[in-house]
Amino acid sequence: MRHKSSIILSNSLPAISCILVLMCLQLISYKTFAQSDTTKKLKEVTFKATTASKVQTLTPTQQITNKDFARYSAFSVADAVRNFSGVNIKDYGGIGGLKTISVRSLGANHTAVLFDGIQLNDAQNGQIDLSKFNLNNVQEIAVYNGQPANLLQPARSFASASVLSIKTIQPALTLQKPYQIQAGVKGGSFGLVNPYLQWQQRISKRWSFIANANYVYANGQYKYKVDGDGSDTLAIRRNGDVRSLQTDAALYWTKSDSNKFNIHVNYYNSKRGLPGAVIFYNPYASQRLENNDIFAQATYEHTWQSSLRLLVNTKLSQLKTRYLDPEFLNQQGGLDQHYNQKEAYQSVALAYHLTPDWEISYAADASYIKMDADIYNYAYPSRFTLLNVLATNFTKGRWQLQGNLLQTNLNEMVEKGVASKSSSVLSPTLMATLKPFDNSNLQIRAFYKNIFRAPTLDELYFYAIVPRTIKPEFVKQYDVGITWTKNLNNLLEYITLTTDAYYNAVSNKILAVPNKNPAIFSFSNIGKVDIKGVDVGLKTQTKQQNGWRGLLSANYTYQQAIDVSDPASSTYQNQIPYTPKNTLALNAGVNYKQLGVYYNHILSSSRYYTGNNVPDYYVPGYSVSDASAVYNFITGKLPVTASVEVNNLFNKNYSIIRSFPMPGRSYRLSIQITI
Amino acid sequence: MKQFKLKSLLSAIAILSVLASCQKDNKVIVNPPAATSGVYVLNQGNFNANNSTLSFYDYATKSTTSDMFSAANGTKLGDTGNDAKIYGSKMYIVVNVSSTVEVVNVKTAKSIKQIKLFNGAVARQPRYVVFNKNKAYISSYDGTVAVMDTTTLAIEKYITVGRNPEQMVVSNGKLYVANSGGLSFGNPDKTVSVIDLNTLTETKKIEVIANPSSMAADSYGNVYVLSNGDYATILPGITIIDNTTDAVKTQSPTLGSAHANSILVDGDFAYFLMSDKKVLVYNVKTQTVAKASFITDGTVITTPYSIAYDSTTGEVFVTDAKDYASNGELFAFDKDGKKEYSITTGINPGAIVLVNK
Repeated sequence: MRHKSSIILSNSLPAISCILVLMCLQLISYKTFAQSDTTKKLKEVTFKATTASKVQTLTPTQQITNKDFARYSAFSVADAVRNFSGVNIKDYGGIGGLKTISVRSLGANHTAVLFDGIQLNDAQNGQIDLSKFNLNNVQEIAVYNGQPANLLQPARSFASASVLSIKTIQPALTLQKPYQIQAGVKGGSFGLVNPYLQWQQRISKRWSFIANANYVYANGQYKYKVDGDGSDTLAIRRNGDVRSLQTDAALYWTKSDSNKFNIHVNYYNSKRGLPGAVIFYNPYASQRLENNDIFAQATYEHTWQSSLRLLVNTKLSQLKTRYLDPEFLNQQGGLDQHYNQKEAYQSVALAYHLTPDWEISYAADASYIKMDADIYNYAYPSRFTLLNVLATNFTKGRWQLQGNLLQTNLNEMVEKGVASKSSSVLSPTLMATLKPFDNSNLQIRAFYKNIFRAPTLDELYFYAIVPRTIKPEFVKQYDVGITWTKNLNNLLEYITLTTDAYYNAVSNKILAVPNKNPAIFSFSNIGKVDIKGVDVGLKTQTKQQNGWRGLLSANYTYQQAIDVSDPASSTYQNQIPYTPKNTLALNAGVNYKQLGVYYNHILSSSRYYTGNNVPDYYVPGYSVSDASAVYNFITGKLPVTASVEVNNLFNKNYSIIRSFPMPGRSYRLSIQITI
Repeated sequence: MKQFKLKSLLSAIAILSVLASCQKDNKVIVNPPAATSGVYVLNQGNFNANNSTLSFYDYATKSTTSDMFSAANGTKLGDTGNDAKIYGSKMYIVVNVSSTVEVVNVKTAKSIKQIKLFNGAVARQPRYVVFNKNKAYISSYDGTVAVMDTTTLAIEKYITVGRNPEQMVVSNGKLYVANSGGLSFGNPDKTVSVIDLNTLTETKKIEVIANPSSMAADSYGNVYVLSNGDYATILPGITIIDNTTDAVKTQSPTLGSAHANSILVDGDFAYFLMSDKKVLVYNVKTQTVAKASFITDGTVITTPYSIAYDSTTGEVFVTDAKDYASNGELFAFDKDGKKEYSITTGINPGAIVLVNK
């Protein structure tokens, strides 16, 4: 009967009209500003990138673009990145199941999720549910250890241990083809029906827009095996139904590559059942979760001839969550809780080349968050965050050096109770690459990043009957790696190898400490974790011959994440929960003309679900395969893409999170037409 | 050529899959020893984790079986085993979130019957069990006390009491039930229901300190009720009820210098687990503190969680829930408060059951 804080995902709409008015005002001012600029258009730089060139970056970076989503049989953003090395997706199973990302064993709170460069922030619980983001309007997803190596970005991009960046599709239209409509539908197991529509329209030489609508319905039912309750038949996972609608509209103004503006409005609405943990002998679940999220964000980017670059980002968001538990045995005869999180965010970044080799930048972000919840004794906190970052990049010969210093100010106010103390933290980052040989694409890279995550509003104020003092959780990240890529002229077109060894030292780890009295759920900074790991990535493909091409990528991760908090504790020197030591992800495929057939395989070694690495708490490893086939053809001059995806091809019975079984073999059929 | 490559690749993957499925078998099959003389510890496990276990420590062999229940039955107890007590030759294990009562053979832990406590599709969520004259009384969070015959193991009646009842005690022919109301944050219940054991009906409600949970009775007519308060303005405390008049005799927020978290009474002494992590001994005859701290050898218990007393040896058993997330520990102390031994238990060891020959 402890309160299930994990199910209360944060998210939110009273001021929609207000937001829209504000955004329009901003739009007008931006527009005026943009048009009054008379700087000459910078010469457009075209560069021919080789297929494999993207890997050479300062910090480890892994990317996937929309043409490859089907290769990985991916339905949501979470599925698309699960193959990445160092990435651990915590998947509670099913279409509506919570899916969060943990990079290099640091947990979801240490990864910033960016949506077109602006963070999707959830101050309530610090984790973004990646199952909420469909792939139909996504152009590219990237995971950066440390941070993206770009100097001109919001301060928030510097402010986390890793970054998951989602980039949406931008209109690519011409005068001859001023519009494009893509319509598709996916359907299959779990009663899934997922129609979607994308409309791109050129309005004028400079203006264009794109609008997306994505609707998902699934009953969410699937069979699974219960182990331990003596039953010998498969049980059916119930109360996992999902109904969600995501709409996204963006307006683009592009005077030139060096002078552009866009504004996005994104609305997400979902209602879903929470099947909950499998409880022996008690098959009933009736909790529900409703999300109503809206955000509007605008970006203006300008590059002057003097090399001064400006990036302005603005965002308003509201995340509304409703959690219902009709069978909670309280006096009201059930729980019906409402959470509302509002944020106003402004970021300005400037970058300037002092010399052709040396660039410096400054970014400042301000965010104001207000949180409301109709729960007992709630503090109604608000948080004001100010981030300042000074960054520099220096390139000389074979060396590239980058560094930044981030300064964070956190201020909190509460309407009830005691606010958390204000804090100010300095966080340095240093990165370097060396290309030791002129005639080889071999690079050596290293980075050091000292970063922290602030306690979430839930950790500080959720049923905080006794005021909690929680310090930020710090991580010192060290990474040394080698990247090597070679364009070949034989059977293979290229081969890319990357390997990184890393060490993360976590201190002041925030741990939830439940109590005999459920209401006194407390949090403490007692944890220390030492994480040592190796990430290895291989990517290659053959040259196209007679219409054939073979593709292969493999990622391997070794992680040792050891609890070093308290030598007297029984968990001392044990691997932290849910951290497999070995993970291997393989993806192979063959393209023949317009047909592609792909196979994906993920292998995870065993884990423990508590801090005691003893047989009682063992969670077996798993080995799951997916397969897919994609066929592109033309019907009546219209391009059509049809695909079949099979997840869990060999119908393995497994779970990533214990008591949350994953589905067995499932199918998905998709068809998409482009007009 | 490329097809061939793909083929070998796929077979390589297939081999890897096979290797991956050769995971070590972690199921420890043991022949459980018969529990002739020893101590059971019921571990709640973690909420929603289905990992409640029944540890057993055998006095003679000095060996611990980590889960007697699954060893004996091949199945698991379920989620949040909250209470276990022996009556006759049977042990009754109350499993809160799974909403069952497992009736097992005391000596073998072999299941005799699993009773499911559901009201339609709503789990009643049983919490505690007490016995009187061949009847078991099971409190459930849905505001009921189930009456079960200990021979037929059939539930004969549900008596409606207050909100979210916790512990109960039989005294002077009456059943006292602590109505916690603990699931309504900020608005706990503050009553003890009195049930007439002849008519099996609630005859009155006694007002006590808010959120009562732990109870015990002595042979001098006193019923002790420990309350948690509302965690905000109302402090926890102890209420003593007279079992003849059902009137409140005394009420106090503290006992000695701390709050009492749980209580057991044996003979002339009550043993309290205190909020300052001490074990306090109280003389119920004189109503005075006998020993402010029972433990005399400096043994530190991080999170005292449950207590038991062996009247034949004078030993006191205390469990330690540590950080509530990892394995706990059971400490055995001799009558002088000196540690005899300790064993590792499962997560959240919430009930101790002594088995004597």
